[in-house]
Amino acid sequence: MIIEIENLNKRYQNHIALKGISLSIKKGSIFGLLGPNGAGKTSLIRILTHITEADSGKILFKGEPLNEKHIYKMGYLPEERGLYKKMTVKDQLLYFAEIKGLSNKEAKEKLKYWVDKFEIKEWLGKKVEELSKGMQQKVQFIATVLHEPELIILDEPFSGFDPINAQILVDEILSLKEKGSTIIFSTHRMDSVELLCDHIALINKSEKVLDGEVHAIQEQYKKNQFEVKYQGNPLISDDFLLVSKSTSKDLTHTCIIELKQAMTNNNLIEHLISKQISLISFTENLPSMEEIFIMAVQQKHQIN
Amino acid sequence: MHKIWLICKREYLSRVKKKSFLIMTLLSPLLIVIFYGVIFYFSVNRDLAEESKIVLVNDQSSVFENKLEDTKTISFQYKKLTDSEPKLLLESSGAYGVLTITNKGNNYTYDLLANEQPGLNTLSSIESKLENVLKNKELNANGIDQKIVNDINAISVKLLTRKNTDDGIEKGNSGTTTIIGFLGAFLIYFFIFLYGVQVMKGVIEEKTNRIVEVIISSVKPFQLMMGKIIGIAMVGITQFVIWVVLITALSAPVSALVMEMMHVDPSTLVEGKQVAGVSQEAGISEIFSSLSGLNIPLLLGLFVFYFIGGYFFYGALFAAVGSAVDNETDTQQFMMPITLPLIFSIAIAQSVINSPNSSLSVWLSMIPFSSPVIMMVRLPFGIPTSQIIASMACMILGFIATVWFAGRIYRIGILTYGKKPTYKELFKWLFRKN
Repeated sequence: MIIEIENLNKRYQNHIALKGISLSIKKGSIFGLLGPNGAGKTSLIRILTHITEADSGKILFKGEPLNEKHIYKMGYLPEERGLYKKMTVKDQLLYFAEIKGLSNKEAKEKLKYWVDKFEIKEWLGKKVEELSKGMQQKVQFIATVLHEPELIILDEPFSGFDPINAQILVDEILSLKEKGSTIIFSTHRMDSVELLCDHIALINKSEKVLDGEVHAIQEQYKKNQFEVKYQGNPLISDDFLLVSKSTSKDLTHTCIIELKQAMTNNNLIEHLISKQISLISFTENLPSMEEIFIMAVQQKHQIN
Repeated sequence: MHKIWLICKREYLSRVKKKSFLIMTLLSPLLIVIFYGVIFYFSVNRDLAEESKIVLVNDQSSVFENKLEDTKTISFQYKKLTDSEPKLLLESSGAYGVLTITNKGNNYTYDLLANEQPGLNTLSSIESKLENVLKNKELNANGIDQKIVNDINAISVKLLTRKNTDDGIEKGNSGTTTIIGFLGAFLIYFFIFLYGVQVMKGVIEEKTNRIVEVIISSVKPFQLMMGKIIGIAMVGITQFVIWVVLITALSAPVSALVMEMMHVDPSTLVEGKQVAGVSQEAGISEIFSSLSGLNIPLLLGLFVFYFIGGYFFYGALFAAVGSAVDNETDTQQFMMPITLPLIFSIAIAQSVINSPNSSLSVWLSMIPFSSPVIMMVRLPFGIPTSQIIASMACMILGFIATVWFAGRIYRIGILTYGKKPTYKELFKWLFRKN
């Protein structure tokens, strides 16, 4: 575990930002911090990055209580991004690296790798204000990871990216993971995280709603639903519920069916084959993160 | 300390490397020298600014005929005219004006007919020339010789001052002392304002660009603030040193050039001074002797102390203002309480010079809000060591206090966005936990 958070609380003047948050983040994983705007994601990140302090609770970084020296092992990309507009790209990147504890020489060496990778050599002497927005985002990303942090924290990294740059970012996140870095990122858009994240935590109204491995959570919240596409007679059975059904012009039926407790996948397939329909496709219908979020929040309400 | 140094270095280099810094630093002394050159030029050749004029004197009394002294711009010509002639003559001759003098016994009436409303300078020159003639006439009528009259007019008194101090009696010079005091005070005032505002702008830039979040994750807010203040101070000191060097180097050639270009006859300079009763050489040697009467190392040392102390005192407050707002337009409200004491102290400097040891002057030189400026004004006049020490102690305590105060506001302010805070909220920030 690279990060262990225990019972973290934070309140501002007028509202509670975090209430009894506990989380643990495995080394070398990609961890998604999900939740709507204002849920407390940024507050949590600001405590992790030592910008603010928690009122109570404990944070361990690789087993040690979080302290200042750990900051050098973190790279942080804030939600609202900015660079010194009048500084050149090179000066700026070296400055951020030095602030993160690298010597000037080390910083220059590491910069070389990224300059080659992103092919930005001719941009190094330019002032930031002369760059396009996409270029600025790249520069800021390099500034975040230049000192080779073990833990990379990205607050809403995809906001403001065009699709091409977003894909570059996804590739970089994955390659950093391969090199052994741990990545935490927060987002309020829950659609794309299933593909990228190993673990997630859902936060709503300053409380953790649920957390765990993405697949485990999907398993836990799945309703045994399947999407079946076929041609032929309508399906009717006491063993499952027909959740929805639509028919296209070429008489292809698309049904979502929910199995009852006793029934297994094999039973369903046997059943479908026995009906003498022509089966086109058959997929398990896993709930999206958004649906899971809504379900989890509703459950939490009921418990309370 | 390493962090402060890094930030300081960035603040310094990013400003010094800018083209505008180079241009401003090089151009300003040139502009200042030219500015003073022009002022100097017009002060010695005041009359050059005006065209020369011919005034026709229509003297019906015959008292003034050929007795009015010409000035550099006004020459008098005498012609007796009838009542209707002046207007016609003015239009045809191209003269500036026609001065008609009539009298009934000793009651003289003067009438100046001109094509325009004459300026104050012209009027007072003509008036004083007329007065001189009448005064001389009156003195001569009472049997006083013209030579005696001239001697009386040449009398001029110059008071030398000496100051009684513990070390004996020192020669004093209020003129030089005043100039040095004002110069020091004004430099400090200027420096605090110019660079204090830069600190504020720098903080606002970091805040609005959100760079601050990245930096604060690895640097303490206090370090960031101090690095910024020190870095900008160094920019100011660099600029100042370059200026002093350049102005010293440029003053002589440029003023020579200005005089050359404007065709100032050096003899008029000397002549002018001699008429005033003090020869140029005597004036300069007097300034030097009064300079040697001042404790220059102490003055310079204290100038640097108040220069830096005052800047830190105000710079921290400017940083706090910058951190509390989101953009420059919102700063006005918070700038007021900071700039008022500064403006007040430069405004009251005049009355401090008039009475450098009044209790008002002493108190103002103790309060850190006004002491950098006021102490500079008072110092050349000589003040007790105990007062200097007390004032320095207050300055140090003052800047520790403002740096603490600013640091408390800054750490909350830089991460707070949105609505402009009220004074009440700022006060709460002082005591809020992180």
